[in-house]
Amino acid sequence: MSRTIDVAGLVDTDGGLLDRAVFTDERIYRQELSRVFATSWLFLAHVEQFAKPGDFFTTYMGEDPVIVTMDKHRRIRAFLNSCRHRGARVCRADYGATRSFTCTYHGWSYDLDGQLISIPNRDGYPDSFRPQDWGLVEVPNVDSYHGLIFGTWDPAPLTLRDSLGQMTWYLDAMLDHDSEGTTVVGGVHKWVLDGNWKLAAEQFATDWYHVNMSHASALNVLAPTGRPSDEIVHRTGRQYVDPRGHGHGFPVHPKNRFDSQTVHEWTDYSALRERLGGARVEGPLTTGHANVFPNFSYLPVNGSIRVWHPKGPDRMEVWAWTIVDKSMPEHVREAQRLYNLRTFGPSGIFEQDDGENWSEVQAISHGFVTNSTPLNYQMGLGSERDDGRHPGLTSELYSDAAARSFYRYWAELMNTPAWHERSMP
Amino acid sequence: MIDGIHVAALEDIPVGEGITIDRDRAGTADDIAVLRDDDGSVWALNDTCTHADASLAEGWVEDGYVECPLHSSKFCLKTGAVQGMPATRDAITHRVEVRDGNVYLYPRSS
Repeated sequence: MSRTIDVAGLVDTDGGLLDRAVFTDERIYRQELSRVFATSWLFLAHVEQFAKPGDFFTTYMGEDPVIVTMDKHRRIRAFLNSCRHRGARVCRADYGATRSFTCTYHGWSYDLDGQLISIPNRDGYPDSFRPQDWGLVEVPNVDSYHGLIFGTWDPAPLTLRDSLGQMTWYLDAMLDHDSEGTTVVGGVHKWVLDGNWKLAAEQFATDWYHVNMSHASALNVLAPTGRPSDEIVHRTGRQYVDPRGHGHGFPVHPKNRFDSQTVHEWTDYSALRERLGGARVEGPLTTGHANVFPNFSYLPVNGSIRVWHPKGPDRMEVWAWTIVDKSMPEHVREAQRLYNLRTFGPSGIFEQDDGENWSEVQAISHGFVTNSTPLNYQMGLGSERDDGRHPGLTSELYSDAAARSFYRYWAELMNTPAWHERSMP
Repeated sequence: MIDGIHVAALEDIPVGEGITIDRDRAGTADDIAVLRDDDGSVWALNDTCTHADASLAEGWVEDGYVECPLHSSKFCLKTGAVQGMPATRDAITHRVEVRDGNVYLYPRSS
């Protein structure tokens, strides 16, 4: 254990204090890749990105590059995107369709099952060389939930369903509007931000608090009168606090939403009440924010789903998709796409505010005194309860409760030897 | 073998793709790739790329050439002439004929 850091002293979830080293320390970051990202279910792609065998999408699990692809049996699989020979990527495209993956360095080729099928100068290898031993490293567990594909490197994980736990009730408010499910519109927006990935993840889990301050100008622009009503500014709501670090905050209101007028008018709220129940339609289906631990976030009303890819302690890449209900007609899909682009696209009026905050926090975090001064996560301390209307424990809309749970679970993983450590001699 | 080997109905070979004829059936040293160009014409080459172990029938057929699916060497469908690295040796061609909507192969003896 000498090479690992005990993070217990950095995270005080009972007192609501957090040491800023969790955002800046290189060794903590390496340990996150090993004990958080190599063990958790991570979002990979949406099932609608794959229509036929050979369709592929390349992404990351932590900093590990992976190819997500549909094999000949139409099963979604994921492989480490690194040649077994000298380690270059065997697929350099963002997405596409192929019959095989060939490394551009020396030309080792792999089929859709990840098997090594051809190597130049095959005769130069000894008799002991067995191609079947040199296939791509496969992600051992890939599963999906209502169209969202997740994978984990853990060979014996908790099931995806169990890992999501009661978060599924909240996820369904975005993913299960009708029996047709969701699909993706447009491509995947990708942008780079200065800032630790957890700043974004914890905000999506827990933070409605920043809205009126950080997004004041955006709220002014969206209000028909140029000035948001008292009702909008002083919302009340709940915040789901999941023991595995997920979080979902949402205003509670029968019809008070920020969303596209076209989408709003198309939506059949009575059918939604029938299918999902009033508590969900007036809760997480309103203008909420959520994070599935560790780094998959979403905004139900916008159809924005995104991953915060870690790129060192000080930087992240945001990869964002827009999803819509398959049942939406074309003009409603387009309205949803444009609304999401305008608000939470890379240059969206809300997204810009958030990125500025995270980069601001990170920019000064390496100062010695700055870094030694703990941060406050005390709002709503002890407020989590069974509210009788929403599953699991919930706190107030304005609360740090889901962030405390995020860091509590994060610290638990960080202080637990991972599957790859336990299997070592 | 005066009538050649009946390979397939023409319509069963999609334009821009190919099929593989097993070497046992063709009586040749290598499998044979029967390929359909994007103008609809049909051609045949030894299936294994002259560079490494790859099936040209799995490749991309376009504009008179087949491109190896693994390492992107291209061969002329008509002559088998290699067009560029990493392959350096020409592919062996075979005669094919289309009669009454069927494709017949006349393997070159190896």
